[in-house]
Amino acid sequence: MSGAAPLRPEPIAALAAGVVTPLGPDLDAFWSGLLGGGGALTAIERFRTDDLRVGCGGEIKKIPAAASGIRSRAAALLVAAAADLRTRASLDAAPERIGVVAGTALGGVEELEHALDGDSTAGRARDALYDAPAHALADWLGARGPVVTVSAACASGATALGVGADLLRQDVADLVVAGGYDILCRFVLRGFDALRSLTRERVRPFDRRRSGLLLGEAAGLVLLARERDVRGPRLGRLLGHGSASDASHVAAPDPHGRGLHSAIMAALAAADVAPADIDFVSAHGTGTPLNDRIESTVLRRALGPRADAIPVNSIKGALGHTMGAAAALEAIMCWLAAREGFIPPTTGFEEPDPACPLDYVPGTCRVARPRLMLSTSLGFGGCNAALVLEAV
Amino acid sequence: MKVESVGILTGWGRGVEALPSDASVAAAGRAVLPLARPSLNGERFRRATRECLLGVEAVNVMLAEGGIDHDEIRGDRTALLFVTVGAYGPSNVGFIGTRSGTLHFPYTAPSALSGEVAIEFGLTGAYVILIGGAPATIDALWQAGLLLAQGRCDRALVLVVEVFEDCEALWRRARWTVPAPLVETAACALLTRSEAPPVYRAMSGEPSALEPDVEARAGRTLAAAPLVALALARAAGEPRARLTGSWRGRRASIELVVGQAARL
Repeated sequence: MSGAAPLRPEPIAALAAGVVTPLGPDLDAFWSGLLGGGGALTAIERFRTDDLRVGCGGEIKKIPAAASGIRSRAAALLVAAAADLRTRASLDAAPERIGVVAGTALGGVEELEHALDGDSTAGRARDALYDAPAHALADWLGARGPVVTVSAACASGATALGVGADLLRQDVADLVVAGGYDILCRFVLRGFDALRSLTRERVRPFDRRRSGLLLGEAAGLVLLARERDVRGPRLGRLLGHGSASDASHVAAPDPHGRGLHSAIMAALAAADVAPADIDFVSAHGTGTPLNDRIESTVLRRALGPRADAIPVNSIKGALGHTMGAAAALEAIMCWLAAREGFIPPTTGFEEPDPACPLDYVPGTCRVARPRLMLSTSLGFGGCNAALVLEAV
Repeated sequence: MKVESVGILTGWGRGVEALPSDASVAAAGRAVLPLARPSLNGERFRRATRECLLGVEAVNVMLAEGGIDHDEIRGDRTALLFVTVGAYGPSNVGFIGTRSGTLHFPYTAPSALSGEVAIEFGLTGAYVILIGGAPATIDALWQAGLLLAQGRCDRALVLVVEVFEDCEALWRRARWTVPAPLVETAACALLTRSEAPPVYRAMSGEPSALEPDVEARAGRTLAAAPLVALALARAAGEPRARLTGSWRGRRASIELVVGQAARL
């Protein structure tokens, strides 16, 4: 069986974004925090960590008022991001034509912890399922179109944006609120602690001294629409997305990054963009020795001779690895970089590593106005995803 | 999009032949009909979870049903789309409880199941994992159709695994065991490109004739219900099937070419 010629999909407009992150309660705080090159990785206060090797992370200290009273923290983060989004855009479509696509690595797993720890209500058990927070978001928005939960581990946010774009291109919805979320809870901190993936030092993506990641919690949402339907301002465009499986290991990336390379090439092909046309890369850049080396190698292979001249950043040194939210936040960061004319630095990157030979935007933000951008993501289970984004 | 093969394993046994005429009667008061842990050879499977093994076995059954060699699906031209409501439940509950070691945490991710399946069959193509009930499976079938139509793959596996036994108390508490029984199911469909595009409706009010039939014969299989319906349609020799399913107030539908069942 031979493959048919790829069709160039219709561009999808990102009308607006909303976030809640450890850097602050909204998009402005997120952006100014990234540009400042500081960080929001602090001692975790919400649950006990004294029995773990590492007790730091990107914790949101105060849930915004719009989400107060929502029991599930995962749902609360989604609603807080949606409330921020709605300050920038209205949902001008019939409710049944508004879809919701949420990416998550953990869903409502903290609700499961509560359900197993004495809360015997039916509601708690229902909220423990990974698709519960997306439905809570749809209810809050009044969206009555399709509600989809993507769980491709830490690549979830990218695939969620891609599925959202597909819903629009196929005329299944007129507006889609898409993105990702995940919370910091004992479940996930214990897990990464057991894997020895967490650093006791600073998170240093692509740096020679990098020794691991720190987790963060966040939600990032984008309001998507078909480009041809949009009359007002846009944040940016989503041109293409791609995904691929490593088929290599459940908990580690393929040592040659074959799945990531496939996802990147699929996204570029879908967008009808040549590797040489990419102006900026938002990398997964977790700060683990293995991920960053593999990702650098793959980016060099995928982008070709121009790779050394293309700025590549990671924002995980600033707010931690926010898992299901990460790719959505990174896409939003790309569009903001293009609009504002600044690429945020890779916080924590100071000493180059010969194994990571790209331009990682050290120190301070870079004055640049990228037009075409690539965002990459990887996750457990051999998940890889990539997005091709365009400035407006 | 065309269905090349469908394999199903349920708490009743293998294939639609094992389904009773009335699941509620055949369940005889049992709330959950479990699937046994498949006995698969290989050191790699020694620590694999039951749900991972069920995913692998569902693909094995699908390949056997279609008379398809393992090597035919290997490689980057095969997409894998995995759907479940709660197959991650046992590993999550276990990790919260006693199984909290390095080896256990990665298996709490839904993608661990599909990751093991991808490793076993060498699937390196497009990769989508959706969480939800029957509409999520219909979404996955639609996504498979898009990937095929766009030339991003030559074949697509839609895999569903639902397990309930290990977390039966939680399913009861959430009142999802009513009406009984919940029937554990592992199912896989192999799809290829054809001239007839699927007709997908993300929001569809009316259940198909197959939807109540699946629940009556198989019981409640949640996300697996559309694939059980597909297997029933193939067994009945239907040229096309309209699959529907509902979950959390949403019903979706897809109509597609069923193809011929090789063994019938």
